[in-house]
Amino acid sequence: MYVIVVGAGKVGYYLAKELVDQGHEVLVIEKDAAKAERIAEELGDISLMGDGCEASIMEMAGFGRADMVISVTGDDEDNLVVCQMAKVKFNVPRSMARINNPKNEEIFRKLGIDSTVSATTAILAQIEQELPTHPLIKLLRLKGGGLEIVEVKVPEDSAVVGRRVGDIVLPPQSLIALVIDENGEPRVPGGDTVVQAGDEVVAVTRTENEDALRGALTAPTAYGPYGPIDAQKR
Amino acid sequence: MDFSTNQIKQILVPVDGSQASLDALALACLLARQNKGKVYAVYVIEVARTLPLDAELNPETAKGEEILARAEQVADSLEFEITTEILKARDAGPAVVDDAIEHVVGGILVGVEYKRPLGEFQLGRTSQYILRNAPCQVMICRSAAGSAGE
Amino acid sequence: MKIVIMGCGRVGAELASMLDQEGHDVTILDVNPGAFRRLPPVYGGKREVGNGIDQDVLARIGVEKADAFVAVTQGDNRNVMAAQMAKHIFGVLRVVCRIYDPIREEIYHMLGLETISPTKVGARLLKEALEREPATPPKAGE
Repeated sequence: MYVIVVGAGKVGYYLAKELVDQGHEVLVIEKDAAKAERIAEELGDISLMGDGCEASIMEMAGFGRADMVISVTGDDEDNLVVCQMAKVKFNVPRSMARINNPKNEEIFRKLGIDSTVSATTAILAQIEQELPTHPLIKLLRLKGGGLEIVEVKVPEDSAVVGRRVGDIVLPPQSLIALVIDENGEPRVPGGDTVVQAGDEVVAVTRTENEDALRGALTAPTAYGPYGPIDAQKR
Repeated sequence: MDFSTNQIKQILVPVDGSQASLDALALACLLARQNKGKVYAVYVIEVARTLPLDAELNPETAKGEEILARAEQVADSLEFEITTEILKARDAGPAVVDDAIEHVVGGILVGVEYKRPLGEFQLGRTSQYILRNAPCQVMICRSAAGSAGE
Repeated sequence: MKIVIMGCGRVGAELASMLDQEGHDVTILDVNPGAFRRLPPVYGGKREVGNGIDQDVLARIGVEKADAFVAVTQGDNRNVMAAQMAKHIFGVLRVVCRIYDPIREEIYHMLGLETISPTKVGARLLKEALEREPATPPKAGE
């Protein structure tokens, strides 16, 4: 695959390095002479000094035969223009942009940039996964089969507080494996085990049913297998 | 006395068809003959990035072969046998330096024309790259002022 | 008409004061508050400090209620991005964008932006001036 990377900052440098290691043909375009030279020195003759938004440079770089263009400069506007030009003028099959301001994802999507990567968004997602206050934590994703093991903290106002495990309606292919009480005492539940507020429930579920499981264990209204019972006309 | 030039056995000469590059080749042959060494004459086809590196470039290859044939004639006239090579690369500079490293040559001998395109003498991009980056000894053989390219 | 101008350079300031004089509701936006010194003292429109390619800034200055948006910063790409945001996110009907680079200008024109390339226009005007009949030189002694 011929991959053109625009921008030789840290992201561009390591990206190019990995892509070369994977055996792709790579070209890095960089405005700054010193940065362009550093790529050439360390990764070989795969850098071109110039403005990656300039049509003449794009032409010279062979955008016309690129399989993919990835724009990773520190300026969202430059990344946008590179990707748009790649698509419109050079018919590059895939374009990818780094986004610095996560709010810009919307405009990039609307303008048809195939995919965007935002470090800010990625970190926010990571925080969500790691924060202990979050009601559902992924403990383990099992290889193959789409199953995962998750931990859900049962809030005080949950509809399952005071109910027997056997009576809780779970989404398909979900199973409560362990109930850990507030003192940290784990129990392997039987059908008669009663769930208390503050319990941590370890369950096996399918990835796509994760939200439904979270709802079943945390929502104040009773849940059926496909969402809140109130919402289901039975 | 010990001169590094006396020790050089393997010499690489980039040839582009210019008189200066053929003069440099002749000099390399004399030097290598005296040192009982070897000379590589290298022609680099610079492939534009609009094309893949392994693209078929028949006219360019034919031109390279023709220039290397002339290089061989130069060597023949000095009764010396050389090895010729055609390389394909994006830029001649790095290609020559990489090739020099691969053959573990003791020196690169570059012929440069005396050209004053903007009113003053300028060393070309490839010679500059070789001077800056080659790990081995680099010798520049500049043609006499007013000889060619002026 | 409510008009938002992004970039208070020479052109932005001139345009803002012209439209203001004609009685339009003008807002001029620039990242650098020092840029507003280019506005004449009589300018009665709004001055806003902020980055025009930040959606939050555009929302804050009320771009969605604007009838027209003009992008005239020094950066072609910034103009292109802000103009497309005004058009596609805030639904502004009239969006005009300055792009120095004639090739980029052509492409974004193709993509439906109203674009002006001062490079192209300027070169054409200069050429036309050169091709006109020369004015008669003043007679010696006059």
